[in-house]
Amino acid sequence: MILANLFLTAALAAPPGDFTVTSPPHSDGLNLQLSWTDPGGTGFAVLRKDAQGTYQLSSILPAGSESYNDKVTTDPRKDPPRESYTYRVATLDADSALPPLADDDDDAAAANQARYVAELFDRSANLSPEVTASPVASWLNTSPGHLLLLLLIASVGGLIYWFTDQARKGSEIFIRRIPGIDAIEEGIGRATEMGKPVLYVPGIDELQDIQTIASMLILGQVAKTVAEYQSEIIVSCCIPIVREVADEVVKAGFYQAGHPDAYHPGNTRFISSEQFAFCAGTNGIMLREKPATNIYLGRFFAESLILAETGYINRSIQIAGTAEATQLPFFVAACDYTLIGEELFAVSAYLSRDPRLVSSLKASDYVKVFCVACVLLGTALASIGNPIMIDLFTIGE
Amino acid sequence: MKRTVPLVVTFLVGMFMIGEFFIPHHLYRVWTAEFLVWGLILAAAAFVLGLINLIQVNLPKVLRKEPDWGYKLIMLLALAGTLVAGFAGGQDRQTPGTVYQWIFDYVFVPLNATMFALLAFYIASAAFRAFRARNLDATVLLAAAILVMLARVPIGESLPFIGDYLPRLMNWIMDVPNIAARRAIFIGAALGAVATGLRVILGLERSHLGD
Amino acid sequence: MLDLLIKFQDMDRRWVFLGMGFAILLPMLANITFGFEVDERVQALYDEVEALPAGSTVLLSADFDPASRPELDPFFRAHLHHLFRKDVKVVMVTLWEFAPPLILPTTEEIAGKHGKEYGTDWAFLGYKPGKELAIKAIGENIPKTFPKDSRGNVTTALPVMQGMKQAKDFAMLMSVSAGFPGTREYVLQIQGQYNLKMGSSCTAVSAPDYIPFYKAGQLFGLAGGMPGSAQYEKLVFPDGPPTSGPAKGERLLATQAINVLNLGHLFIIALIVLGNIAFFITRRIEDQG
Repeated sequence: MILANLFLTAALAAPPGDFTVTSPPHSDGLNLQLSWTDPGGTGFAVLRKDAQGTYQLSSILPAGSESYNDKVTTDPRKDPPRESYTYRVATLDADSALPPLADDDDDAAAANQARYVAELFDRSANLSPEVTASPVASWLNTSPGHLLLLLLIASVGGLIYWFTDQARKGSEIFIRRIPGIDAIEEGIGRATEMGKPVLYVPGIDELQDIQTIASMLILGQVAKTVAEYQSEIIVSCCIPIVREVADEVVKAGFYQAGHPDAYHPGNTRFISSEQFAFCAGTNGIMLREKPATNIYLGRFFAESLILAETGYINRSIQIAGTAEATQLPFFVAACDYTLIGEELFAVSAYLSRDPRLVSSLKASDYVKVFCVACVLLGTALASIGNPIMIDLFTIGE
Repeated sequence: MKRTVPLVVTFLVGMFMIGEFFIPHHLYRVWTAEFLVWGLILAAAAFVLGLINLIQVNLPKVLRKEPDWGYKLIMLLALAGTLVAGFAGGQDRQTPGTVYQWIFDYVFVPLNATMFALLAFYIASAAFRAFRARNLDATVLLAAAILVMLARVPIGESLPFIGDYLPRLMNWIMDVPNIAARRAIFIGAALGAVATGLRVILGLERSHLGD
Repeated sequence: MLDLLIKFQDMDRRWVFLGMGFAILLPMLANITFGFEVDERVQALYDEVEALPAGSTVLLSADFDPASRPELDPFFRAHLHHLFRKDVKVVMVTLWEFAPPLILPTTEEIAGKHGKEYGTDWAFLGYKPGKELAIKAIGENIPKTFPKDSRGNVTTALPVMQGMKQAKDFAMLMSVSAGFPGTREYVLQIQGQYNLKMGSSCTAVSAPDYIPFYKAGQLFGLAGGMPGSAQYEKLVFPDGPPTSGPAKGERLLATQAINVLNLGHLFIIALIVLGNIAFFITRRIEDQG
């Protein structure tokens, strides 16, 4: 018996050492970070006391693990986090019981778990001491990366107001000429002369994508110009809600230009939410209605070249703009003018020349200079082994 | 009022959603998650409007027998057929043997693949037309394109003198100037996106409201 | 001569399409083969999968549709063979609504050939809409995101899901991605946060965008487009199409298609070179005349 007990004790792994439970920094208040030193063994079982004071199995971790992030609740509305949580971690070894299988039957699953936890407690030499900790929720993420980002956004906002103020006081804000944007009005003029419509494609992504938002803002200006030229605009949309917003924007543009009767609701069309079906439908519009000018502004994917080549077959003037780097080469090859990246976001300011909008371009340019300076400084410092800039700009939980 | 209310709503919701990135507290994120769900519901509801728009635009053209009305009729019939097959199939509509699954396997998949395959031909015609050494920029573009394409085909490696260097050159082009340019575009576009977002949230940009 | 050169430069694009058509058909009809080398990124991907111990579990996110199937399905098939022959368990999810009819029959076929049992050796948890939100949810709690699998079983009751609650509980995450949402969103949303071991197979057009992730160590390997799929097939099946064993009958479509790709590239290069020669000669004649 004594020999058997000796063997039993010899088989037990040591408990995890230096076991601590802390609330991670900048936490949402729903996580606790457990850490320990690995004494060896085949794995670890993390146990957490429930509201009734009974230990439940939280997770089983593989060998070599030395930390675990426990989400104390997945639905804080239905199951709000408690004041504090108590944990123990058990080292598993070759003689440990097999982990419990889940079961369709909740009662059976709970019974399996309870049995497993009881078996872990039977081998108490493997168990760490109890540690209790409270999850702490932060109201502000004060990590350097986040604060720097907040500063950048605030800087853009502040600079916008400063430059707007300067513009109101009469100072001239210079924007370099962007041929692609100038070509939009020329294209509309061409369409009017030829008696053909303008085709506007706002990309294929959802309304919440910033490129689609930018496209909607530009569409308002374009629709107004089309109405002033007494031409026709067809808007081909891939997402239904984008179609609804585009319809309102085009209608507003025509009303603003003083030509409400020229607005045709049937010219803002939802084609299909499936990428290539939309592409085929838009190609059909190009081949049948033969627009004189095609404007592609927004987020595009694989259909970009198919649209642009079909437009080329039609001999349409084509102006494209996207921040999607993978599609830029296709637009550059197939379109007459391509707006690259941030030029897409500059179009509405460029077309309207509204001091408030032009100021925002100036503001983002200044912040860009700051970013370039940081890149150069960071590269120099990193080259000599100093990671301070890398650490400063790291955004992490 | 008609313009002020949307501007105020845009500002409040916009600032609230920006806050999610900086405020980790779970009580805050419960509400931002709720707003996102509201957005998904609105987008889903708009699908019904999209369906109505499809019918509203195309059915009158079929009835009036306008030019190319046949294509619109096929589209409407396909729309109706797929809708009926989908509703009839219910939860099990994607089970092999159902009409809906047949439409997917033998109509949708080949058509989708065909449209994507058009890219091969269009790339050839676009490259032939666009890659001319008209000026320095075009020449650099042309040279890079040819080097990368040559390096990707086995015949490139067997070329005399340059064959051994082509893969290294290609990797350098892809890893250095290509990535540098993409990162530059990405940073510029990100800042442009911040400025655009701020313009809309702060009410400076109002063209989408008809102002 | 000048007229001919100008005609060549402005030739009807249908001749280009016809030429491209021949370039595509020829390798299929005439059994033209080109050898190819394996890229270091694909080799790294293969080596990491090869190092997986038997019994470990991989989370596989298969996010492609019929359009991108020719590029990614060969990798997907080879990867499943690779995992199953190493007795690695597979839990599959997808973020693309048109993916399930493509990936489920393939997985059932290959798992069946390797004698793998659903629920014990592999499972398909289904399609989850929500894009980045779905990915965040996968990072936080998979059983809550997919309470039931595609067959209606309770996820937590599946033997293959024992101990697998979050993405980080898996030995690795493999993203077979045709675009958005896919590899980029996984890297941005959860790879860094949970320090996941992650690999990717993507379309050729997206591969340059993901190279920075590979260089930064966020992806342990990257197979880009058809060439990437072909290279991976070469590593998984070094002796060519297998004639025996569970993978018998596997056609290695990417390896076949790479010949089409190579000839297509050569055709485009030839067009560009000839076009530029014609352009320069035309300009010289015009300058002289």
